Amino acid sequence: MAPSLRPGKSRWRGFGQLSPWLLLVAGLLLVRFSKGAGFADAYALITRPFWPGSAQREWIVSARTVEDQSRLQLLEQDNLRLRELLELQRNGSRQGDVGAPVISRSPRGWWQQLELGKGALQGFQAGDAVLGPGGLVGRIASVTPATARVRLLTAPGHEIGVWLPRSRSHGLLVGRGSSRLTLRFIDKDPNVSPGDLVTTSPASTLLPPNVSVGVIQSVNEQAVPAPTAIVQLIAAPEAIDWVQVRIR
Amino acid sequence: MCAASALLVPLLVLGSPEWLSMNGVGPAWVLLWLLPWALTDGPISGAFAGLALGLILDGLSLEGVTQVPALLALGWWWGRLGRRGSQIQRSLNLGLLAWLGSVGLGLSVFLQVLIREGGTLDSFTQTWGWQTLWSQALITGLLAPMLVSLQLLLWRRRVPS
Repeated sequence: MAPSLRPGKSRWRGFGQLSPWLLLVAGLLLVRFSKGAGFADAYALITRPFWPGSAQREWIVSARTVEDQSRLQLLEQDNLRLRELLELQRNGSRQGDVGAPVISRSPRGWWQQLELGKGALQGFQAGDAVLGPGGLVGRIASVTPATARVRLLTAPGHEIGVWLPRSRSHGLLVGRGSSRLTLRFIDKDPNVSPGDLVTTSPASTLLPPNVSVGVIQSVNEQAVPAPTAIVQLIAAPEAIDWVQVRIR
Repeated sequence: MCAASALLVPLLVLGSPEWLSMNGVGPAWVLLWLLPWALTDGPISGAFAGLALGLILDGLSLEGVTQVPALLALGWWWGRLGRRGSQIQRSLNLGLLAWLGSVGLGLSVFLQVLIREGGTLDSFTQTWGWQTLWSQALITGLLAPMLVSLQLLLWRRRVPS
């Protein structure tokens, strides 16, 4: 018989000997379908002493203030009036923002995600918007009691509807694996140019309205069936230690 | 003790140290554990370990793509190699096996992304996919001679062939 690293005999005899393995498989399936709850929470517990400090959190708050001031005119002209008329989701109040440390990140690679050090116990739920200094970085994909997993905007196939305030046109922002995303326009003549700001839609009910996302780098007018553009994200996920989660 | 070391894999995946990455892409830690395990313990144990780790890592990753089929196949293949003839222990061989495994794992993931996107990928996504695949294969192949050799040394002492 071949030597084995596992203790005990290698041949199963009857169901009595099979049951531990079935229990193990059941445990593994539990880990799989709980989105790794035990491992993610244990990791959060182990790495708690090494979590980022509060300095960047203060910087985020400061950056957000500047960002808010620069967008004030736009918000006054557009967002508030439309919101009241259409009775849509109230503009995300800052009271709904909860700061969370980034305890694991993989902004490159096959899975472009962040792991946050707060979760369902703090009221996070799947679909909540995650903001970094400068704008939106992604949405929460799943939560455990103590952690939350964020799908970054850069993740391939991740799509959100966006709005271009200057030209007042809509588009679909699609993740392509890098910090440059593709913006697909719905109109054939979107009237956009490099440098235009891209925000979330003022009529969005899935995402907080009028949050900065990125800046248009280049426009491909020849694309079929409608023009496309390359968008550079404002908030770079590689350098973020703290984020704000806007709880719905 | 040997099996318990598998718990380091999800922790390393979550930790993803940036100083051990290439072009921002870290090594396939799961392969650096699975390779010596399968070489030492055979194809059935290797396949089962691949399945177990695949399920755990799928739980720790975003939905849509699974690593289970590739890890299961690699565990089985490396287990069969370990049962044949002379022991595989040269650094170059281990590095090559880990590199091939990483390419196989990457191709399996990339294929699933391709299917999920409806069979066509634009040039940006293709570039991302190939860069990720080759970067991960390279860093995994470079680390394998050190890490896999060490694990083989420790585990084969416990289980003399």
